[in-house]
Amino acid sequence: MAAAATTSDILGPLMSRIAAGEREALRQLYDATSAKLFGVCLRILSDREESEDVLQDVYVTIWRRADRFDATRASVMTWLSTIARNRSIDRLRARGPLAYAEQVDELELPDGADSAETLLSAADDRNRLHGCLSELDERTEKVIRTAFFEGVTYEALAKRMDAPLGTVKSWIRRGLAKLKGCLQS
Amino acid sequence: MSEAPDLSEAEAFAAEHALGVLNARERGEAEARMARDPAFASDVEAWRERLGPMTGAIASVSPPHDLWRRIERELPANDNGVAVNRLRFWRTSAVGGFSLAAASLAALAVLVAQPPSAVTKTQTLPPPGQLLNASLTSTSGRQVPLFVAAYDPDRKAIIVTSLLPEGAHPAKVQELWLIAGKDHPKPLGFLEPGKSKVIPLKTDTAGVVAAGATLAVSIEAPGGSTDPNGPQGPVVGAGALSKL
Repeated sequence: MAAAATTSDILGPLMSRIAAGEREALRQLYDATSAKLFGVCLRILSDREESEDVLQDVYVTIWRRADRFDATRASVMTWLSTIARNRSIDRLRARGPLAYAEQVDELELPDGADSAETLLSAADDRNRLHGCLSELDERTEKVIRTAFFEGVTYEALAKRMDAPLGTVKSWIRRGLAKLKGCLQS
Repeated sequence: MSEAPDLSEAEAFAAEHALGVLNARERGEAEARMARDPAFASDVEAWRERLGPMTGAIASVSPPHDLWRRIERELPANDNGVAVNRLRFWRTSAVGGFSLAAASLAALAVLVAQPPSAVTKTQTLPPPGQLLNASLTSTSGRQVPLFVAAYDPDRKAIIVTSLLPEGAHPAKVQELWLIAGKDHPKPLGFLEPGKSKVIPLKTDTAGVVAAGATLAVSIEAPGGSTDPNGPQGPVVGAGALSKL
């Protein structure tokens, strides 16, 4: 997969330079990844102003924690996206219990094949995951996607779906086990 | 799809953390476990890699033009960056959980030996003084490092990083104390879970620290301890400053 290899070739060395305190490297990382991460924040928060605040926080966090990035364990894009997603979810949770009052909505997944993405995302991985998720039963797929994009806790999912906590937990755990099996095959 | 074998309890917990379904308390537990259990940390990372491609379907959106300037303003000053790197260097060698590739470690070691490059253009700096370091470990049970601190004699400042997971001790504050000789513990400031902080010291305090002292952290109600003799809340970590 040439595109993915290129991405880590470019971003990997940037991470060590950022860990060494080089601002220009952070600027380059920002240029290469900010549109993707801003998309992630917007997807979770659906609010431009909040997403800008969170994105700012995300790059300051990257600057501070670049030394914790371990190339043997994670890819740069996953590491960055995880920070963006966690920070957005923190913000979403800080809005309070009202944020959980919403219904589990139909999640539309636009096929975001724009130019930055050809560089940044590994389309094969995405398609494989998409394929495996769609092999789950519809309800399980939906709760897993909702949990991922909204950071909705088991407790809140159970409330939203009007199902016992233990049941929701076992749907997700079984779903994750199946997902792992499917991705390995 | 055929039935897949169940995940082990540990892996299921790792997967749940990566997915984001845990509540604040459980997330704190998971973060703490990642810091002390490398196998668990690898499980979480592996699950982040598995689930990460879900974000691939999200369309990119260009952030506003002035956002980079906002970020740049928030970054610690250049010399601060170097000081924090010195702390990171130490922390990496002391706390096994935060692994760094040997190459970057060597690069940091070189960096530590150099004065900040932006400053050398205008003046020549004396070689940096010897950093004093402390690992503040839990005061009960297993000795787990909960805070790491370094005293930088050049800047007369203590740099402290709280390794507690963000969200630990909600509605409480972490207060840092200096214990030296027979004096009452002296409050130095407040820490935030998961964050680093630079605490400048007054000259007389700096002198006391340079001679060797112990740092401790207590959990206090907002505003900190009101007792002039020292902490009111439980002391969760303590450790002596010493040369590497």
